[in-house]
Amino acid sequence: MINGKHLKPRDMGKPADQLTKIDRLMPLPGPFDKLDTAPEFKEPKEEWREKYCTTLDGFIAIDTLKRPETKEEEEEFVRKFLQGLGKMLSEETNRGIIQPLKLSIEYCAKCNTCSEACHIFQSTEGHELYRPIYRSEVLRKIVKKYFTKSGRLLGGLVGADIDLNWETVARLGELSYRCNLCRRCAQTCPLGLDNGLLAREIRKIFSQELGIAPKALHEKGTELQLKTGSSTGLTKPAFLDIIEFLEEDLEEKTGKKIKIPIDKEGADILLIHNAGEYMSWPENPMAFAILFEEAGLDWTLSSDLLGYDNVNYGLFYDDGQAKKIALKQFEAARKLGVKRIVLGECGHAHKAAVVTADRMTYGANKVPVESFLPILRDIIKDNRLKLDPSKNNFPVTLHDPCNVVRQMGIVKPQRDILKAVAPQFWEMTPHGVYNYCCGGGSGFAIMNSFNFPEWRKNVSVRMKVKQILEVFQDTLEDASIPKYICAPCSNCKGSMRDILEHYQLTAKYNVQYAGIVELVVNALADLDRPFFEFLEE
Amino acid sequence: MLLLIFSYFALLSFIFLSLYKAVQYARMPVHGRLDLYPIPKEKGKAEYGGSYMEESGWWRKKHEISFAGELKEMLQEMLFIKRLFEHQKSLWWLSYALHLGIYLLIGWTILIFTGAGFELVGVAVPSSGGLARLIYYLTILTGAAGAVLTAFGSAALLFKRLVMPSFKKYTSAQEYFNLLFIFSTVVSGINVWQQDVGFNYGREMARSLLTFQPIQADAALTVHIILLGLLLIYIPLTKMSHYAGKYFTFHKVLWDNAPNLPGSKVEKKIQEGSQFKPKITWSAPHWQTTDEKK
Repeated sequence: MINGKHLKPRDMGKPADQLTKIDRLMPLPGPFDKLDTAPEFKEPKEEWREKYCTTLDGFIAIDTLKRPETKEEEEEFVRKFLQGLGKMLSEETNRGIIQPLKLSIEYCAKCNTCSEACHIFQSTEGHELYRPIYRSEVLRKIVKKYFTKSGRLLGGLVGADIDLNWETVARLGELSYRCNLCRRCAQTCPLGLDNGLLAREIRKIFSQELGIAPKALHEKGTELQLKTGSSTGLTKPAFLDIIEFLEEDLEEKTGKKIKIPIDKEGADILLIHNAGEYMSWPENPMAFAILFEEAGLDWTLSSDLLGYDNVNYGLFYDDGQAKKIALKQFEAARKLGVKRIVLGECGHAHKAAVVTADRMTYGANKVPVESFLPILRDIIKDNRLKLDPSKNNFPVTLHDPCNVVRQMGIVKPQRDILKAVAPQFWEMTPHGVYNYCCGGGSGFAIMNSFNFPEWRKNVSVRMKVKQILEVFQDTLEDASIPKYICAPCSNCKGSMRDILEHYQLTAKYNVQYAGIVELVVNALADLDRPFFEFLEE
Repeated sequence: MLLLIFSYFALLSFIFLSLYKAVQYARMPVHGRLDLYPIPKEKGKAEYGGSYMEESGWWRKKHEISFAGELKEMLQEMLFIKRLFEHQKSLWWLSYALHLGIYLLIGWTILIFTGAGFELVGVAVPSSGGLARLIYYLTILTGAAGAVLTAFGSAALLFKRLVMPSFKKYTSAQEYFNLLFIFSTVVSGINVWQQDVGFNYGREMARSLLTFQPIQADAALTVHIILLGLLLIYIPLTKMSHYAGKYFTFHKVLWDNAPNLPGSKVEKKIQEGSQFKPKITWSAPHWQTTDEKK
């Protein structure tokens, strides 16, 4: 096993039961400053070692990547990987990304400026495996060795010094799932290169060529969504039942009798939520219904296939799946004849539908898409809601979803909203476009196979835990004061749920979390009792 | 005469190969959007990283673009390597020394040719005084500062890569060679310069180039010309051609947030791109239906 400080990119192909391990974690501020920063992760089980790839850092993210049983299968796997790599580099098969990809492959000066920007590298006290360019450099070495003349002729002299075998490829696949694709590193690159893009391209080769992707993203993600309408498996009849339940619950909770519009043809707005909200955080779609009705918007939900779930996990690992889902979501909107799609609190759905899908088709196939945030900001600005911000008189901080801020430039509306409804709003450091990922980005929040959650809860979320502890440092230990993390994204909320549970921040320190619409509803002047359960006596 | 031909060949190779590289990138198909904020052209919003998507009904509104904002950011990055300065100052001092040195040497080259032009029309440099004298001293200043900074920067970067483990493990022999090549070329230039501090040999060589006359060079100058020529041919073939790539990474990738609206240039490109039918596709089972093929 190679120590984290001594690991080199060319070591990826070396035979070892486990290439390296995490030996240190970033210290956290009080009250966690006494925690041992030398982690004791459980060893992967023997049966996992035999069947899956545990030879990177001991963790398994890709639960469909199984060890071959014969030498021939091993060779075939490597051959297919190289075939996929060739397709990645070809204008014929990878047109939609070829220019940015080739730039990022060609120009890295290895100046390491990006390292400090990465929350995973920082959380492991600079473990070499998680340096943003480590993964990129392994990929470059393979590209150089097999796809360039200089690499074939000069080998190690030009950096083409890596052994390619099943272990190298499998470890590289695993390593592509140790990056949240937050692209914070790309903000600092003096040459404008993008390690997140390269990590996603590796995931693409695995999915698009080898047919290998984490079950949570593919089989129980995009495939399930295309089949049933939602990655949660929520079918149309079940969705309609849930809406009825929401209406009843909403009335019970707020005294407001609201008929949630479904399949209203020709409505101005088709509101699409992350379907995970209906299952895990039903107060969120309830709050949307209250606000949109109070503001008098002409809106509807859709019960059509893919019309009631805005997620698009294709964004994380597969261009084809991303396109299929995005186009079907447009189709659901076109069928209803709505004027625009408005996305609820889901960061990656924002990016997928507004930014990524923007160039997937054209003309009449498209429907304008926008975030709910500017609409809500305008509703509040126009005084269409009667608000009493003193109802939210507790410390509130905002977690910025990377896809909404860094990758879309929606920064100010959510702050305008919070300033109107939360008198004790505190920014995290850093925030806005320079925020840190919640640690659950790019699918991690829903990937729960084997020991991957252990890695996530200790490593990828760590920087966010640090930020939360820092922003609430003055009131943290006073459990009589609720502290609220506003995370306007389902995926980020999943990560917050993990954080608060794992570090016992709710149980011990009364740290709460939810979205932004719930805060606005809680501030509605005409509500007799709090919308948040944690505020009820 | 061979030196003259070689000099022209090297210079033209540099220009042609650099342009070829840029054209190759420019001809690549339109890519999916990879906006990364802050985007400096977002008028009134760039300061905090905002975009047009902060407005409800953004597709009905005018996308307010500040070309001055983009130009300012680009110039700061090109002239001062802003991101490196902000995020890794210790390396910036060394890298900027190298880059500033190169910029000064480009300025020196222009001054050398201007001085040679003066001499060709009968204005002696510097003895005619006035502008000729100014050019003479500016040539010395830019040449000396440029050479020293380039030599220091390339040597310091080479040394840093050799001794710092976090750099060393990512550096190939070719990357050491690149820095050594620059350093050697500059040192060979300094070696010639110390025999003639006023760079009269430089103007003489420039006159030869401008009039297609054989270059008169001693052994030291011959070595310098050959090294510099080879370096000029070599740079565009390597990642040192990032002067071309950087335009695309920022302007055409990270800052390209132009939406695909009806009647827009982007829409036209998407329409054209949709005519392309790939002959091969990806092999995974879920790619074996028609609608996900791109």
